[in-house]
Amino acid sequence: MKIKKDAMAGTLESSDLLVKVSPNTGIEIVINSDVNKQFGDQIRTVVDQTLNDLNVTDGLIIIDDKGALDCAIKARVQCAVLRGAEEENLDWSKLL
Amino acid sequence: MKKIRRSMLFLPGANAAMLSTSFVYKPDSIMFDLEDAVSIKEKDSARLLVAQTLLLPVYREHGIETVVRINALNTPFGLKDLEAVVRAGVDVVRLPMTNSAEDIHELEAHVERIEKECGREVGSTKLMAAIESALGVVNAVSIAKASPRLIGIALAAFDYLVDMQTERGDGTELFYARCAVLHAARVAGIDAFDVVYSNVNDDEGFLKEVSLIKKLGYNGKSLINPRQIELLHNAYAPTAAEVENAQKVVEAAEEGERKGLGVISLNGKMIDAPIIARARKVIELAKYSGVRKEF
Amino acid sequence: MYSLVDFSVVDISKSLSEREQIIQLLTLSDLNLDPQVNIFIVANMDGKMVACAGIDNNIIKCVAIDPNYRGNQLNLTLLDHVIKYANEQGHFHLFLYTKPENIDFFKGCGFYPIVEINNLVVLMENTPVGIKQYCKQLSEQRQNGAKIGSVVMNANPFTKGHQHLLEYAASQCDWLHVFVVNENVSLFPFDVRLQLVKEGAKHLKNITVHASSSYIISRATFPTYFLKDNIKIDYAYMGIDLLIFRNYIAPALNITYRFVGTEPYSQVTNAYNTSMRYWLQDKDVSSYPVITLIEIQRILEGEDIISASLVRKLLAAEQYEQVKRLVPDTTWNYLEANLDSVKKLIRSKGN
Repeated sequence: MKIKKDAMAGTLESSDLLVKVSPNTGIEIVINSDVNKQFGDQIRTVVDQTLNDLNVTDGLIIIDDKGALDCAIKARVQCAVLRGAEEENLDWSKLL
Repeated sequence: MKKIRRSMLFLPGANAAMLSTSFVYKPDSIMFDLEDAVSIKEKDSARLLVAQTLLLPVYREHGIETVVRINALNTPFGLKDLEAVVRAGVDVVRLPMTNSAEDIHELEAHVERIEKECGREVGSTKLMAAIESALGVVNAVSIAKASPRLIGIALAAFDYLVDMQTERGDGTELFYARCAVLHAARVAGIDAFDVVYSNVNDDEGFLKEVSLIKKLGYNGKSLINPRQIELLHNAYAPTAAEVENAQKVVEAAEEGERKGLGVISLNGKMIDAPIIARARKVIELAKYSGVRKEF
Repeated sequence: MYSLVDFSVVDISKSLSEREQIIQLLTLSDLNLDPQVNIFIVANMDGKMVACAGIDNNIIKCVAIDPNYRGNQLNLTLLDHVIKYANEQGHFHLFLYTKPENIDFFKGCGFYPIVEINNLVVLMENTPVGIKQYCKQLSEQRQNGAKIGSVVMNANPFTKGHQHLLEYAASQCDWLHVFVVNENVSLFPFDVRLQLVKEGAKHLKNITVHASSSYIISRATFPTYFLKDNIKIDYAYMGIDLLIFRNYIAPALNITYRFVGTEPYSQVTNAYNTSMRYWLQDKDVSSYPVITLIEIQRILEGEDIISASLVRKLLAAEQYEQVKRLVPDTTWNYLEANLDSVKKLIRSKGN
């Protein structure tokens, strides 16, 4: 799956995150978190796993995390990617 | 023990913070809303967020039932919502704007297909019907009996009152609907839930309404603010006198049984099976929720 | 957790009372109302306006929160609403102006500083890679040479004056990079302006004509440039635009010279030229190398100093023979072939 257009999902509210995706060659991930020092690696792992499950091969993924739980990170990344890839047909076995 | 459903807390499905923390308020059921509380533009994000949230173990750990209000099946979102939440393991799907038994049959067919597709035990997804129209109220009995998956029916006031050409007031406007929905639930042997009380700052008004629906016989109420949970649970908790009396009834019944008495009496009054059953329920509820606190 | 803050979108050109409330809020934060901002996202609590954020296309400005309501979720939620609103209007790449003391807060909202005018203003963008990626792309067009020059022009439309500037600059340099301002707020659309520059410079072999970006004389970097009335000139904003050029664009292409024509007519452009001497050449305002500014005299045609604004005036007056004297054949051929649409443009946009 490739990111075809700019898209966003999520919010900047506490316990949430804002995910921005843009077209790019290859995968590039930038994580900007309130809790980066503590949980940076964990956030990164969730993001990587989520992108991997969706088979995202190209895209710039920018994340502004406000202390979100893993389930919110996963949901927001999925949503931004699906919006940016203009993907309508969801394979729930890969998303859940 | 049968699941106790007094409080059903509504949460907007697009709000990450509320979704992941609201279990701390310990409602009996949490209802994630994908319908009215979510704008058209956020339907996709809320669906994903709710689906991922349902996978969290915290609700099961706290004994909180998960309910998702999906969009109506005749919208572009309803079926997508259903695909997501059944697969994510939701306990109960709440269908808005249920007008007839056919609506439930349609929903049930989709649920069964999805259960089979994803390997979930067929029948394990429970259903709930929200009645929000004059037609729905009139059809309440057939709706309540439409499926063994139904665990309850709920009255929802907003659209119903528009349909009835009136508006929210002192409760007179809901008089017939409340009675009709409750009767339908009892005929079908399922739970009945009352409307939300939207003025979150008016505790007195809220408690007055709770007192009314409790007297009618409702199992509980839909809530929009976590503050209302404790108020509601307390109002539903038996009083110390009620518990004491119930204990006496049960003791008398047990003693009568031991002695092989056919007719049992307490303080000169005969107690029969329904009274004993009711007393056992009071004790059970007291164990679950404690004794009512007076404020 | 159920906030009672009510967010709404306000067009202050249509609501005087809300305009007044916004001005009061801005004053509390020591800010002025920016004349280019009409749309505000405002937060109301208990019937009182407690926060506002202005948005002009993809540029967020005039963000203010009542001091009594700071330090909670309000600021994040406000920004969130602004970002969503911009999104709905189709803007994903956002810029933001604020005071340097707020940089850390806006970093927490996903904005990254581009350049800062000390203690006065900072321009931020909502991506960590925006300008970096742009410069990376630019650097692919880097040319070897000791003397690399640059010209930034709007070319609205391309005149003999522009052509002369390019010819002169190209003759002085090993290579010349020309940036055509990429905003569709001028009389001639960007595509046309770019095409006329390319055609008018075809005979020059050591030049690259670039479509400029958000980072060079854009609404974001230099909003005043696009104001119709030239009364208020904001030197701080000019510093922003020029520092971006000096700190990012020039290093990407090894540019060490910038050429401009002297400006007899436009007050804004003239002020910009003055600012250039300072922001490009002062050793203390930037740690990046100095860019030498070379101003050349405008050329005359008869008694007229050639300028694009004069050409537009003559077009509006339908004095086509006069126009023909001031523009290269390439531009004239275009104008002549598209006279009807040019007339329409002038009628709809003015000049």
